[in-house]
Amino acid sequence: MMLSKKLLEQVLARALSTGADYAEIYTENTTSKAITMVGSKVDRIADELISGASVRVFKGLRSVCGSTADLSEAGLLACAGKVADVLGQGSAPIRINLNERLFGDAHPIRIVPSSVGNDVKVELLRRGCDSAKAYHSSISQVSGTILDVDHKIQIATSEGLLAEDRQVRTRMSLEAIASNGNENQAGMVTPGVRQGLEMFEQFVPEELGRQAAAQAVTMLSAGYCPAGTMPVAIGNGFGGVIFHEACGHSLEASGVALGQSQFAGKLGQQIASPKVTAIDDGTMTNAWGSINIDDEGTPARKNVLIENGVLKSYMIDKFNGRRMGMESTGNSRRQSYLYEPTSRMTNTYIAEGQDNNDDIIASIEYGLYAKTMGGGQVNPLTGQFNFGVREGYMVRNGKICEPVRGAMLVGKGSEVLMNIDMVGTGLALSAGMCGASSGSIPTFVGQPMIRVCAITVGGR
Amino acid sequence: MIYTEFKEAVFAHAQALGLKDYELYYTAGESVSVDVFQQQINGFGSTTELGACFRCLIDGKMGYASTSLLSAEEAVRVVEAAMENARTIESEELCFIHPGDAAYAALTPKQVSTPTTEEMISFALELQKTLYATDARVIDGTQCGVSFGTSELAIDNSYGLSLRDSSKMASAVGMVVLQDGEPYDGYQTEIGSLDTMDKEKIAKKVVEKAANKVGGEVGPTGSFPVLLTPSAMRALMTAFVGVFSAENTQKGLSLLAGKEGQTIAAECVTLMDDPFYADSYAQASFDAEGCATSTKAVIENGVLKTLLHNLKTAHVAGVKTTANASKASYAATVGISPYNFYIVPGEKTQDELLAQMGNGVIVDSFGGLHAGASAVSGDFSLQSTGFLVENGKKGKYIHSFTVAGNFFELLKKIVAVGSDLEMGTPNGNTCLGSPSLLIDQLSLAGK
Repeated sequence: MMLSKKLLEQVLARALSTGADYAEIYTENTTSKAITMVGSKVDRIADELISGASVRVFKGLRSVCGSTADLSEAGLLACAGKVADVLGQGSAPIRINLNERLFGDAHPIRIVPSSVGNDVKVELLRRGCDSAKAYHSSISQVSGTILDVDHKIQIATSEGLLAEDRQVRTRMSLEAIASNGNENQAGMVTPGVRQGLEMFEQFVPEELGRQAAAQAVTMLSAGYCPAGTMPVAIGNGFGGVIFHEACGHSLEASGVALGQSQFAGKLGQQIASPKVTAIDDGTMTNAWGSINIDDEGTPARKNVLIENGVLKSYMIDKFNGRRMGMESTGNSRRQSYLYEPTSRMTNTYIAEGQDNNDDIIASIEYGLYAKTMGGGQVNPLTGQFNFGVREGYMVRNGKICEPVRGAMLVGKGSEVLMNIDMVGTGLALSAGMCGASSGSIPTFVGQPMIRVCAITVGGR
Repeated sequence: MIYTEFKEAVFAHAQALGLKDYELYYTAGESVSVDVFQQQINGFGSTTELGACFRCLIDGKMGYASTSLLSAEEAVRVVEAAMENARTIESEELCFIHPGDAAYAALTPKQVSTPTTEEMISFALELQKTLYATDARVIDGTQCGVSFGTSELAIDNSYGLSLRDSSKMASAVGMVVLQDGEPYDGYQTEIGSLDTMDKEKIAKKVVEKAANKVGGEVGPTGSFPVLLTPSAMRALMTAFVGVFSAENTQKGLSLLAGKEGQTIAAECVTLMDDPFYADSYAQASFDAEGCATSTKAVIENGVLKTLLHNLKTAHVAGVKTTANASKASYAATVGISPYNFYIVPGEKTQDELLAQMGNGVIVDSFGGLHAGASAVSGDFSLQSTGFLVENGKKGKYIHSFTVAGNFFELLKKIVAVGSDLEMGTPNGNTCLGSPSLLIDQLSLAGK
């Protein structure tokens, strides 16, 4: 137990004392370590402890949030008082009875990273970096980071809930640079999971190193992608960033509640091609974006967002849910106690379809195969998005041809969703950090291979 | 525990364990923010944050550990964790704890008043009212906010160096949704002192940004002369600022390695790094390692004069540090970043540059920088918006096109530099600035 039940009850009572109809306290204790290697030598280590609390109250459609790094009784009561006093004056005597709830942990951790010395992590990182360096003579530089985070949270609310979660995550990122003297090209892999160091039994460092290096070497020999509107096959895994950007952000209640989303007011309507079923699932075992409870204490759920093209659900937090008249879907998230939580994604993906992946490529007379995607961004109001293709190939007469660099996919979420005309098999999920108003949080994006019948490709 | 007590506990433990070179870096900040929606306050936030980072040298290797919990236990933990981390470091470049410089410049910061909560609330409500009043097409979805923050910084080290800095700043944000057949949005942030901000001016800018988009079309495909607006160039600089860091050149991550003294940009380009820039809210007399800062030209008339250094990279290169050591947060390891980093303005107004261009395109925004721009190769391919230019005059709004190029080539293709220098919003100690730039040709992909 991070803070005592009695202290939490006192803080909530103070927070409610000026007329709020809901109060919540979120406490965290997070340790993290990031070891970075450059050119096969350990270059730097960031080693961090973050500890603090945030008190939030609602009164109707108003929200007041305050945070403090001072977890003493005086510090917490001062923070609650500051928050309460914004809502009004008064000191109504309020009694809170918290009932501790155990939601359980669906994400077993075998090797807790904080229990292991630096040497073990350095060795894992070295295996990845060395393998990338050895892959090809044109690899001029390799850098990598092994990150582990141990994020403990405690949430108590005036509804009586008291719950805790401990989120352990591990990630390795490797970047290989291929150079011919005049030009550099980068290749990158960044797997992450809600797991301990046992993740490297599945994600073998040597294989990660080879993947990063192969991408850089391929891109070094690639020409620039031609520009134009064409059919595009988007590979599985991080290809799911298309859905994350083009649609996911617009289904977050933070935008929907304020009428700032292209999908506001469209529940029950056909917003995507009938081939598309999309899901946000915070419960997937050991997945990077999984949570046992969200940052308001609501248990994680599997939410079907779009079923056969029909909009079924938004992703909702408690505060925006009030404006929308809808329940939380377990999607409230925040980077840390310094951010106010709001509706965010967890593990978001397009479900497998009926098409054969070979048929998808064979169907393209002239177009692009975006094997690996980079990141991107979207304007949730208009749905206009763009994202980079990290590893792309031209497709001619149904065959994958030469690699191309510098491709950018540009479009509008509502249009691209309608233009997904084939959905293949082989669902895979990839780790990313998603940034928005409540900070940077771990999310999985994913999909099987899909085909978009026409999309603007920016190149030169 | 307050900072000075924590520092004494940390230093006592460091001494007891035999450390000779060590430092404590501390930041604390408070901020208050108000959000308005449908002419009512819908959000109010206040944050109090702090953190301290201890670092120490063992055999020339630097180990770090940080905490936001100032307690006796943490004082012991950070010292021991930093020592373990120092022993894990393998890179051979020597690191240093700086004994201090003879003199540090006195800053002349811009005046910022501290608003009361009531003043912030009334400013935000009035800004919202002004947004609705500026154009009849403004609809709900329109939001605005005001925030005010103060921050403090302390660096204390084993040589007795003890430096302090503090800053405060207000910002106002307007985000408008305008309905004209379809919804269009505009966004604008103003920074400075609340009592001197002009709500009408902010509202006019935000609404104009949204209104400009009405009736726009998809941009053209082909190769065009381009005028980059100050904000578009600043966005591009955000993605490529790292190429000027000696850390990146030394690690083979920047193509500017070994290019000092060579021409890397058109002759009309001079790029300054000025920690004392008078019209900026980001000023610094010392860097993250405690070295005294100075103003320098990074590019002068197209020639690369210097890279940006900290103590480690300067030692490797055999030069004096340019005092550009920086930390992304108190917990981060020391890296490199510029201060007020701007292209020196030329003679011509934007209109004169358009007349010089004749026909082409104005690019006024770049999106997707973290996806579409690679600092390693210099390549970029970015979603853009802007205007057509016909016969030297600004024409129709265009959107949904990409602009592709290479940053290093672009520097050489700058034909003319405008007189309209604009500095952006500070991010940490860095504040980027550029005037309008006329670029020979860039590749666009739209309809």
